[in-house]
Amino acid sequence: MSHPLLVWLVGGVLLVGAGFVTALLPRWRAREREHRTAWSAARAAIDSATVSRDAAVTRVPAAERLLVRAESIAAGRGGTAAARAAAKHAREADRLWRTHQ
Amino acid sequence: MADAPVTTRRHLRHELLRWALLGVAVVVLVVFLLAQRQSVDVSYGRSPAATARIDEGSAGELSDASVPSVAEMTALVAADPVVRLPGSTARWNEQRVREAAGDRPVRILVAPPGLDKAERDRVRKVENATIRVIGTEVSGGIYQAVADTLPGWRAQFATADVTNLLVALLAGLRDAPDPPEHDELRWRTPTDRELAAVAADLRATGLHLAAGATLTDVPGDAARNAFGDGARYVAFPAQPFGEPVPRYGPALAELFPGTPIVVMYGLWIEYHGPAADDFAELAGASFYAQFGARLSRYDYPQGTVLAAWLNRVTDLRYSGLFDRPLPYRPIDPLRVALPALPWVFAGCVATFLILSVRSLRRPDGVGVRRGDPGRGGTPARLAGLTALAVEMSLLTDARSDPALTRGIVKLQAARAALDEELPGPHVRTLLDEAADELDDAARTLGVASYRPDLYLRGRLS
Repeated sequence: MSHPLLVWLVGGVLLVGAGFVTALLPRWRAREREHRTAWSAARAAIDSATVSRDAAVTRVPAAERLLVRAESIAAGRGGTAAARAAAKHAREADRLWRTHQ
Repeated sequence: MADAPVTTRRHLRHELLRWALLGVAVVVLVVFLLAQRQSVDVSYGRSPAATARIDEGSAGELSDASVPSVAEMTALVAADPVVRLPGSTARWNEQRVREAAGDRPVRILVAPPGLDKAERDRVRKVENATIRVIGTEVSGGIYQAVADTLPGWRAQFATADVTNLLVALLAGLRDAPDPPEHDELRWRTPTDRELAAVAADLRATGLHLAAGATLTDVPGDAARNAFGDGARYVAFPAQPFGEPVPRYGPALAELFPGTPIVVMYGLWIEYHGPAADDFAELAGASFYAQFGARLSRYDYPQGTVLAAWLNRVTDLRYSGLFDRPLPYRPIDPLRVALPALPWVFAGCVATFLILSVRSLRRPDGVGVRRGDPGRGGTPARLAGLTALAVEMSLLTDARSDPALTRGIVKLQAARAALDEELPGPHVRTLLDEAADELDDAARTLGVASYRPDLYLRGRLS
């Protein structure tokens, strides 16, 4: 830091860098968290639906199709939207099997 | 619960401070950048004098006079040893010039002042003229004679007398040493009537314009800068050569003691009055040394010359050559602060960085709050529901089994989410679902105390 000009340059670069990091890092973290949350919910819904299927007294082909679809989506490891779709199908299947208990 | 608002408030304060620091840093940077203008002007006291800049024709220095064609002028010079073109002003002592010329034939072409460049070039192309005089600019062969003393400039600009220049040039053309200068200008005391007329004008308006003077008005700004307390101005046209010149300066200085008095004879400017010994000679010498060449060749109006001279006086006053106090100048805060600006900026950046890192490390507030005493906390609820599920699994039957299993599956998901530090609402949703399933199972079993609400209340109380 012998030259004041260096202070301006380095300081300016640091300011801009800090601005980008503080703006982007929380956003990136939130997206990551949302992604994991969605998959957590999807897995819970699929597991729950599996239990309901095992407990069901009759076969419900519609529910089975829905669950297969949910599991295939989950096997593909997609993004947040895929996780939501999988959770939706699994819940629907779960509801169908519960009505046939 | 009690320290949550405090944390939030502190966080808010940090955020505010952070953005304020960013603003300060940007302002400092902008100030620094704006202060980077470089200037070549160097002035001891920041003289307010206008920059002396004179372009050809812009100051009215070109006259209406013109010159004939080269061939015509050559014919004129061949016919007559001294040719005076119409409008020419230069005069000289013919006796001295003749003596200086000796037995050599000398032909002199005299052109009027204020010619433009093309017309001057035409005059210079007249080859049979030994000496060319344009205005009062004297040149011949490869030489040009210029005055370099105050009496020399005075004779040249007050009476258009070029004797000394012609004599010096003739000596130069002969490779002879410079002859001694001889001041042709003679002074006389002005008569009482003349003096009274000038003094009356000066008392009334501070300005006397003699008949024939080209000055119309005193240049206001330049005059205020040069003589802050006001001065009196007298302007005469160029004086006829050979006649004694009335010397108004000392007489007026006696009449108006303590007042600066500026007297113009043609383009010659004299100063009389307070501190004349200090700077009048310096102002005159530096002014005519710089502008003498232009003044001799062109036909400037007196107002232009006076403005330039007043600017020179201002520059001298502000030059610090004389220990005279300058007008008060307030301290420029920018100049004082400039060396500190980089460090202010660096401090702002450093603090901004620290606060940014803090704001990044701080959880976003949606995370799980461990040990929240009011609602029992999510982990406590998870533990309670898990214990309930274990107890119920001992009594379960075929009808309650699916609900209990689903509840356990949800509890496992909730525990995994908690371990992964997923958002609190998500964990709570999973726990709610698990509690619903367990409630379902408890109702199927017919054991009221296993209903999660009752069970948890009993455990936690």
